[in-house]
Amino acid sequence: MRPRASLWKRAGIREAGTALLFLLPLLVLVVALIIYPVYRAVWLSLTDKLVGYPERFVGLANYIYLAEDDTFHAVIRNSFVFTIGSVGLKVVTGVLMALVLNNMIRGRNFFRGLFLLPWITSTVIIALTWRWMFDAFPGRGFFNSVLLDLGLLSRPIAFMATPEGAMMAVIVANWWRGFPFFGVSFLAGLQSIPREQYEAASVDGASAWRRFWHVTLPGLKHVMIVTTLLSFILTINDFNIVYVMTRGGPGTATQIFATYSYQVAFNQLRWGRGVTICLFVVPILVLGIILISRYLLRDRK
Amino acid sequence: MRPVRALTLCGMAVFLLIVLVPFWWIASMSFKTYEQIQFATSIYVPNPFTWENYTGLWTETRFPLWLRNSLVTALVVTATTTVIASLGGYAVARLRFPGREAVASLILILYLVPPALLFIPLYRVLAELGATNHLSALFLSYPTFTVPFCTWLLIGFFKALPDELEEAALIDGAGRVTAFVRVLLPLAAPGLVASAIFAFTLSWNEFLYALVFIQDETATTVPVGLNLLIYGDVFHWGQLMAASVITTIPVVALYVFVHRWMVEGLVAGSVKG
Repeated sequence: MRPRASLWKRAGIREAGTALLFLLPLLVLVVALIIYPVYRAVWLSLTDKLVGYPERFVGLANYIYLAEDDTFHAVIRNSFVFTIGSVGLKVVTGVLMALVLNNMIRGRNFFRGLFLLPWITSTVIIALTWRWMFDAFPGRGFFNSVLLDLGLLSRPIAFMATPEGAMMAVIVANWWRGFPFFGVSFLAGLQSIPREQYEAASVDGASAWRRFWHVTLPGLKHVMIVTTLLSFILTINDFNIVYVMTRGGPGTATQIFATYSYQVAFNQLRWGRGVTICLFVVPILVLGIILISRYLLRDRK
Repeated sequence: MRPVRALTLCGMAVFLLIVLVPFWWIASMSFKTYEQIQFATSIYVPNPFTWENYTGLWTETRFPLWLRNSLVTALVVTATTTVIASLGGYAVARLRFPGREAVASLILILYLVPPALLFIPLYRVLAELGATNHLSALFLSYPTFTVPFCTWLLIGFFKALPDELEEAALIDGAGRVTAFVRVLLPLAAPGLVASAIFAFTLSWNEFLYALVFIQDETATTVPVGLNLLIYGDVFHWGQLMAASVITTIPVVALYVFVHRWMVEGLVAGSVKG
């Protein structure tokens, strides 16, 4: 392949310039609207910026305030309950969905497409939908209507009015939006497990359960780690579902990082503190990003 | 294999119910009268069936305006995203230059940064540019999440194309730019379509930035508008449901049309190896 090598070499000299030209719009966008705002966020978190007043440097006062703030402690707890609850459910139902689809010989692509519908639907609409599904009033609330008709309830339950009920409702809504993505990714993972491994296990007399445990799950490990990390990062920073369904209530029962940050910044008008709440997530984010990057960049090579 | 078959079909039925029941609940409510919802007279199916929520939504609310704003925003953002991401994706996938790995990592990291992290500082930056309270705030801010995602997607598509065609064009004396426009872009068409649809869907569904950057009720998009409908003085459940149905239709239509490419793009992003 001699002509190829010389061609690449000749092109190589000019390529750095061409690359810069091609990357210029991307780099301008990234610097002006992502990196510069990140820098502004860090600076704002070191000030006591109130809307309408000039910002004053206060050092780490916002961080110290939040570290000692009981509401913020509740927010951290809620964020983790919400995230671990919904991501956990997504993993379990995602595996089941992948197994079911994998066993469907006919119509697999059709059902895969159909099951992905929640994933492409607007989160605001999903949040509204589940708000009505859990509504206390029978004509609007699906669960109350069904449970009353089946005679399992004598009076409707106000799911969204209790702290546990509201948390369950936002977890379910987030789960419903996210599990199809898990299912489709896991299905792709299942299809990449070599048949020979199953055949070898069958020859050794392994039961269906043992084949699942020793062949399927290890084969899915890689996909599971990547999708779980991806979903963890997105869920712990979720805003839409909680904001539309509960506004963080009742009380602070479902208040999570982004909704609390919004409340502090845009209702209490304390921008410095609002930004600081978001920045508290950064260490988790960095850890997640490092782990995912290692997996994904390795794949690309 | 009998019990496996039965289990599969049961599982299928359960997943169908889980996915379809919420959609059906919303759609059926959108065809009920106010009284049917208020007094729970026809719970599971609209009886009588009415279009009044749709006509009411169209004539009594600002929904048509929000729909127009959403459409304009999604189209502008999709166009700019496709241009920026295809140029960047091509450079990272196909050109050799120092720092290429670093740029690839940067794009991946930015794709993983959630929008909720930046809404306050972005608001300040946009305010200083005089771009808040207008759709231009969204034209500028939405590419911060669509471009990294679409670039990452397109790097994969461009890398998967065979080298030979581009080399042939280069040997024929074409420059990189000509080779890109004439040879690679047409070959990457499925990837471009997938990326454009992702950009459109992400913009169409976005809520937080629109909520924060635009206060004017006439200048906002559908998701924020829906939220205004709930917290209005009177609950117009039926209209809200009708709005949800109308808003979901374009995305589903696009999706039905090209879902195979989308699924491939989606899976390529997270699953390999």
